[in-house]
Amino acid sequence: MAEFFQSIGNWFNGLKADFVLNFIKDNRWRYLTDGLMNTLKITVFAALLGIVLGFIVAIIRSTYEQTGRLKILNAICRVYLTVIRGTPAVIQLMITYYVIFASVDISKLLVAIIAFGVNSGAYVAEIVRSGIMSVEKGQTEAGRSLGLSYTSTMARIVMPQAFKNVLPALANEFITLLKETSIAGYIALPDLAKGGDIIQSLTYEPFLPLLAVAAIYLVIVMLLTYLVGKLERRLRKSDRR
Amino acid sequence: MKRTVKLLALLFAAAILCTTLCACNSVPANKVFSIDDLPGKKIGTQLGTTGWTFALDYEEEGSVIEGYKKGADAVLALKQGKIDCVIIDAEPAKKFVEKNDDLKILDDPFAIEEYAIAVAKENTELLANINAAIAQLKENGTIDKIISNYIGDETQGTYQYTSPEGLERPNGTLKMATNAEFEPYEYYDADQNIIGIDVDLAQAIADILGMELVVESMDFNAIIGAVQSGKADIGVAGMTVRPDRLENVNFSDSYTTSTQVIIVRKK
Repeated sequence: MAEFFQSIGNWFNGLKADFVLNFIKDNRWRYLTDGLMNTLKITVFAALLGIVLGFIVAIIRSTYEQTGRLKILNAICRVYLTVIRGTPAVIQLMITYYVIFASVDISKLLVAIIAFGVNSGAYVAEIVRSGIMSVEKGQTEAGRSLGLSYTSTMARIVMPQAFKNVLPALANEFITLLKETSIAGYIALPDLAKGGDIIQSLTYEPFLPLLAVAAIYLVIVMLLTYLVGKLERRLRKSDRR
Repeated sequence: MKRTVKLLALLFAAAILCTTLCACNSVPANKVFSIDDLPGKKIGTQLGTTGWTFALDYEEEGSVIEGYKKGADAVLALKQGKIDCVIIDAEPAKKFVEKNDDLKILDDPFAIEEYAIAVAKENTELLANINAAIAQLKENGTIDKIISNYIGDETQGTYQYTSPEGLERPNGTLKMATNAEFEPYEYYDADQNIIGIDVDLAQAIADILGMELVVESMDFNAIIGAVQSGKADIGVAGMTVRPDRLENVNFSDSYTTSTQVIIVRKK
């Protein structure tokens, strides 16, 4: 029995030494916090860009489907959706960095925001479109017969209902986006995952850096999930079911 | 119809913008002429290599250190003007400069380093066997011949190490972890085989030990972990013997020496 406790004690001491080596020595925790800042910056701005792009594309697509207008724009949007959803994000990131902005001196953070924003926009577009389509046709017809133009029917009647329907799916898309930014290390951008990678390269200990990075992602995602749940409950209040 | 014309004009404008963005050669002029110029510059390296650790010392002096997955990515970023210089081992640097005539190597090299084979701490028996094999291969000149096959203008391609015919391999497999992005030490040939000095050397050692060599390529900074955890028996990747690495693995006797150099744009 004593031996057992002894071995557990040793294990904890080893863990403590590992912890000091991986995070405390030379202020190595800074790689994680700096990386986390970059990860959050990329996620927030890419999400904003994704929302803007996604809504524009979704409106164009559903307008075409409902009225037959904007034929060419719709075709462009479809190409965009096919290409972005049909290729891996890491390849899109590298194309953005090494091909599109090949000879332009541009901050890596901006490259990542553009790449992830454009990527996320495609998914947001389909989510929002499904939301618009989920609003009953009678709503549009009612608006139109009351004398509202197509644009104001869309803006005042369809979109508010659609937005509420897609909010949970949208929030999930941003959780996915947050995790997807972990590939930013491919263009040597020091994000959270890369921070763990750097510590690992300094200490040759994969155990703690990887667990720490995983734990940080998990905490952020859990926080986001909690907020989404709250939002959903708040939105449900106005439902008369 | 009017809408279509407008749209086409817009697309046309976008296309022109894109071509000008790509065509205009805005690669900035070279700013690094010696080691003394490194502070405050953007330094590209391969994550986990000696060049990377070396560059980290300049972080306090305002340099930005970028650790790429492989040396070739850093060189590409250098060519595109995204970074100011690349610090990498001398022989891979020569290969990069050979293939890119807009790059050059600065004259002042850093301290001499010893390349050796990484073996797990517990695996002292294998380490002793490898040291004996290296001594034998040094003695009979095989190591020199292998190296001269890859390095040196006149000697390149003159000698290809081959295993003795009909050799028995009763002692199991020897798993080698490497990062096959490091010509001439280890790289992919046209047929997707991993070749190079380190691979030939490991093959020669495996032949002496009567073992079957299995080569696996991974990220450079994962090699020591792979050796430590027993996923690989040896790490051979142009790896410099350094105190921080010795805390985690043992190193064999050195089989060759190298040095870090700085690559910059010619203009």
